[in-house]
Amino acid sequence: MTVTVKLVPVQAAYDDLLQRSLSKISCDLARLIYLASTRDYNTGTYHHDGLAARFSPDVAGKALEIAHRQIFYQLSAYSLEQLVEQLQIYLDCSHESPADVLRIWQKLEPYRVAIPVEVSPAVARLFLSNIRLALAIWRFRQEQAPKHP
Amino acid sequence: MIGVPTAILLGIVLLLLLLLLAARGSTVARELGSAPDLPMLDDEAGLDACPPEFVARIFSSDDWEFVSGTRSRQLQGLFRRERKLVALVWVDQTSKAIRRIMREHTEATRQSHDLQFATETKLALQYAELMLICGVLFLAIQAAGPQRVRGLALYAGTLSQRLTQAQQNFKTVTTGREFHGAGSS
Repeated sequence: MTVTVKLVPVQAAYDDLLQRSLSKISCDLARLIYLASTRDYNTGTYHHDGLAARFSPDVAGKALEIAHRQIFYQLSAYSLEQLVEQLQIYLDCSHESPADVLRIWQKLEPYRVAIPVEVSPAVARLFLSNIRLALAIWRFRQEQAPKHP
Repeated sequence: MIGVPTAILLGIVLLLLLLLLAARGSTVARELGSAPDLPMLDDEAGLDACPPEFVARIFSSDDWEFVSGTRSRQLQGLFRRERKLVALVWVDQTSKAIRRIMREHTEATRQSHDLQFATETKLALQYAELMLICGVLFLAIQAAGPQRVRGLALYAGTLSQRLTQAQQNFKTVTTGREFHGAGSS
């Protein structure tokens, strides 16, 4: 009984997060970056003011954690071709220069912090490896594309 | 023709060689796969097991075909290196998981009073088979690449799940008996 009482608000918070926030984000890669950004670097707990106000900080945190893991596994299961498409959408929607984003991502690898805690090491390694490859492929395509004056 | 003692000796040597390779490969995977890349994933006890669909993905040739399409040697080389490391990390994770399961099982059997010889032999054989396959996989991945050993990797994944399930069943039965024992005394 207690479990049902606890799980129902988390499910409701998760649905709310999906409808109000995640559905408005352009692609899964951007969703992952967004969800990872709601996690505190020091404590590993998730925060979202709007969601916490509608539910409770604990319930909101749990819903964010579930959504983060789910989107991470979803993205890690993508083929390289799909991941390159995701990267293309992400770069198109970012307000920065794609070349700059690419340079920083290849240099600093900020996507490393997008990995949820306690996931399978092999899947985490696959994710990092695929992002690295997708960046290299995107760069290669840019270099191959004919330059317009 | 070789005699039975020679065949057994050869078998033991081969087994030891594969276990040595597995240990070496495990060290390689740990060094390359986790130390510089995944510092936060050191303690594997509470981590998720690798879901079966990811095993198929790691060892799939689809991504290779996509990268080959670019006709860039640099990208192809990068892909081979990266995917090889991911595959080695998976084998390392699998062999660690089955060792942990067998450790747990050994501890559980010490406290159990009615062990079944057939079940224990079957489990021990499955464990030996898996360790052997992991050794072969470490060697084959490094020599030929992950795409060539897809079938064996999928088989190892299935066997590993079966072993995990068998241990869980054993645990459930043992706990149930202890519970009933405590209740009747």
